[in-house]
Amino acid sequence: MVRIAKRPLAACVVALGLAFTTGAGAQTSCEIKIGALGPMSGPAAQWGLAMLGAAELAAAEANARGGLQVGNQRCTVSVLSYDTRYTAEGAAAGVNNLASQGVRFIIGPVGSPEVTGAKPVVTRHRLLMFANSYAKNAIGPQWPLVFHLGPGPSEWAAPIVRIAQQQFGMRSVAVVAPNDQGGTDIATVNAEVYRRHGITATEEYYQRGTTNFAPIVTRLLASRPDAVDTASSPPGDAGLIVRQLRQAGFTGPIGRLGGPGTDEIIRVAGGIDVLRNFYWYEVVPTEDPRVRAISDEYRRLLNKEPPENTNMWLWVVGARMTLRAIERAGTATDTQRVAAALRELPVEDPNVGRGSWTGQSFFGINQELSLPFGMGMIVDGRNLGVRRIEVSPQ
Amino acid sequence: MHEFLTAGIIGISLGAQYALLALGFTLIFGILGVINFAHGGFYALGGYVAYAAVSQFGLPFPLAVLAAVIVTAALGALYERFLIERLVDDHLATMMLTLGLYLVISTGLLAVFGPQSPEFSFPVKGTLRAGTLYLPLENLVVLAVCAAAIGGLWLLIYRTDFGRALRALADDRKVAMTQGMRPGLLFPLAFGLATGLAGLTGALVTPILALSPSAGDPVLVTSFLTVILGGLGSIAGAVVAAIIVGFVEAYASVYLGGSAGALILFVTVLVILLARPTGLFGREIRGA
Amino acid sequence: MAPEPNLAARSPSRWGAQEWVAVAIFVAALAVPYATEDLLVHSIVNRVLIGAMAAFSVFIMLRMDLLSFATPAFMALGGYSAVLLAMNGVTEVLLIVPASFIVPALVALPLGALVLRLRGVYFVLVTFVLTEILQLIVFLTPGLTGGSDGLAGFPAPTLLGRDLSDAQSVLALAAAMALLAVVITAALTAHFRQHFAAIEENEVLAESLGLVVWRYKAMGFVVAAGIAGMAGFALGNMLLTVHPTSFGAQQAVDTIVYTIVGGRGSILGPVVGASLLVTAADFLGNQGQYAQGLFGLLLIFVTLVARGGITGAVVTLARRLRDARRTPDAPAAAASEAAARGGA
Repeated sequence: MVRIAKRPLAACVVALGLAFTTGAGAQTSCEIKIGALGPMSGPAAQWGLAMLGAAELAAAEANARGGLQVGNQRCTVSVLSYDTRYTAEGAAAGVNNLASQGVRFIIGPVGSPEVTGAKPVVTRHRLLMFANSYAKNAIGPQWPLVFHLGPGPSEWAAPIVRIAQQQFGMRSVAVVAPNDQGGTDIATVNAEVYRRHGITATEEYYQRGTTNFAPIVTRLLASRPDAVDTASSPPGDAGLIVRQLRQAGFTGPIGRLGGPGTDEIIRVAGGIDVLRNFYWYEVVPTEDPRVRAISDEYRRLLNKEPPENTNMWLWVVGARMTLRAIERAGTATDTQRVAAALRELPVEDPNVGRGSWTGQSFFGINQELSLPFGMGMIVDGRNLGVRRIEVSPQ
Repeated sequence: MHEFLTAGIIGISLGAQYALLALGFTLIFGILGVINFAHGGFYALGGYVAYAAVSQFGLPFPLAVLAAVIVTAALGALYERFLIERLVDDHLATMMLTLGLYLVISTGLLAVFGPQSPEFSFPVKGTLRAGTLYLPLENLVVLAVCAAAIGGLWLLIYRTDFGRALRALADDRKVAMTQGMRPGLLFPLAFGLATGLAGLTGALVTPILALSPSAGDPVLVTSFLTVILGGLGSIAGAVVAAIIVGFVEAYASVYLGGSAGALILFVTVLVILLARPTGLFGREIRGA
Repeated sequence: MAPEPNLAARSPSRWGAQEWVAVAIFVAALAVPYATEDLLVHSIVNRVLIGAMAAFSVFIMLRMDLLSFATPAFMALGGYSAVLLAMNGVTEVLLIVPASFIVPALVALPLGALVLRLRGVYFVLVTFVLTEILQLIVFLTPGLTGGSDGLAGFPAPTLLGRDLSDAQSVLALAAAMALLAVVITAALTAHFRQHFAAIEENEVLAESLGLVVWRYKAMGFVVAAGIAGMAGFALGNMLLTVHPTSFGAQQAVDTIVYTIVGGRGSILGPVVGASLLVTAADFLGNQGQYAQGLFGLLLIFVTLVARGGITGAVVTLARRLRDARRTPDAPAAAASEAAARGGA
């Protein structure tokens, strides 16, 4: 009986040994492996799975074209993933795991703790990483191989606040977010942006794992704000907050500066009539048919439904540009040259459009993708759609 | 003042919600001594079965809830009969078995239904209002079901042969077996009853809150907290503890915010346990 | 429940084979950073060492039949203290490693005085609440602890002036701390084997027989806290950050699983459990959304197959083999032998 129990241990040891040899050994055919890093289970699974979807799509597109032209070889692209479980050590372990399997390019991770854990390891392995996260130190000059998949609220909050202010005329707002780094990163910046526009802002953080927001809603409404901003609260939480706000009698506009998930919010809140007046940030202009075509591409090439989380539409740009940079640099192993090629590539995507590299003033290094994004509004129960907001190049 | 009353109403709703969650947990725990790590999993599973019954099979809501109860009860009973029963005396091992089950259930839900929350709302809508005070009707329904469940469970445990047999088996299995009670039949039934309760709660409460594959994570924590605070083996204790937790959470969160509120709640639990080391109404100590 | 201690066979506080094997394993681990530069091996071994240390913390408490969910809280205390010292100019490893042990141990003293009067599941809940409380305290004190962002960018530890920031030194330091942890754990559990066993069997009876129970419980709790603290520092050193997401309920469950799956009855249990499960989780991590489910299946399988954890099952098998090796047609000889040994 115990032999069965010992076998997994022996198998692991043998597999470990094999992993060394395959990791260090030469590849007989030209195959480029990219890694998708993020939480693939648990409450944040939809983001990790969207990251994986982005990597898979970019790889499938390249393979459909016959592979990447790297020097004088044509190379196929394959995708490996690792479930970080939204922790720093998960991300660090993931980078080591992927690197040992020959991955030199990582798309992800998703959350700030993960990026913090991944960066030192990525630097040690000299991998190129295209990370998400709204942390104030997500990228920087000390990590030249780390790129940023999109700007944080410091870039996109201001235009949205201005338009919302014009439409709804609020003079005070209560910002509510979970009490972890994913919440504080965004909510603090949001509050600053509101204040810069003459709107008084208070920040409320709720305990991670709250299932019933009625007490928080009561507290939010005690200061009688004109508007409530759900910041980066996960869509399930945000939808419930909306519903309970309306149950409590709050009739003001609700915002989401933000992140994707409006459809989910509408579902959980109980319909667009409940939302009534809502303004939100979309990472890309989601009503642009060219952007939506990304999902059709996904279905066509991968024969399955794309992840619903629309972050994928933005993140695929980073994955695609990384592959283009590999071709341009003519190498899939010298990540420094690929990084140099990547920096020189204009920020341009067939679906999302033209953007620019930013980040110099905020992070000290110009390695952040900045592309047109979207602002959506629902006014008096009518969905006015998502308008495209271009970004001014820095 | 208005916040004070509102917080009170919220406290009652929360208390009812937590009591319903705790009932299933205290049954398994009090009778079998198993810390059911999969409790949250059955809650989420119940929600999804009801959701699937409504959206895919077009069943009316009450039937969907019944379907949820049947599926979760059956799964629980089978799991107990074929897996947990082998190790039922080793509490740590059963804990591992239920933890493994929870991981499998939540991964299964994630794989089948995807990570996003589906559209699943409570059929009874509307809110009672009196000035600035309000009470969503759905909360009243939960309150009513909770009262019924507590009453029903109490009757079952204290007024039926089944309940007597369970209590006897919990007290002293060997003697109970010589009296003719068969744990091989009764334990799976008890486990199934408990998981069915968790499924019932899931089917009722997730449309009021939010449904997702990891909706069960916080449920386990709250149930565990409430049951232990109330004291092992005491249904009354679990209910009273649920009400206390509901009120403390409501008032602390309203007046101090989410984080400080949670801190106050945990400190309160700590203080109560230090003052009453066997919980509010607990009687016996069970080993780890 | 726990395997019966074989007390009659040797002096109660001497180390048995299992203790020596455990120490040998960690001595061998010291060589790993110098034997290979493969970063995957470093990653897995480092996490196994940290997991084993945390599991020792759980193991010590389980010797007294107390299941503790507070390991991450003490890990956080140890990790944050060490990092705060480094950020304030004290990078000498000979100072911050003891600090990472002493600070949680000191906190455990008054805490233990309060919570050790609880037993069974009540103790379990209270320790869980402690972990949650510490998470909230970290969130609410951003000035000191960095709040939800955690602390990063602190100077590397140094040994007598020599910088320990390279990959080899990080792993070597973790191995050294793990060796220290196993020695402390072995010393404590071996020296107080009978006392802990008595408390585990029947605390009330032990007390009535004259055992000053609270003293041993307190000792166990304090030492367990210190060892967890060292694990916390090792984790922060590996990741170059101490972050609240590293010290939550998820980690509490993980460390408990390592100990139980490895076997709560032997000091090798935490080692085996951590080694197997950290490695398995690393392999399963590539399975995307199925990773956790597969891990759950592994857990169920190992629990069903190995009674008393892996080490427990090994001990049982060894005993059965040993009994079977005695010739089957000499039951009388075996019986008299057993009688002579006093029925051990």
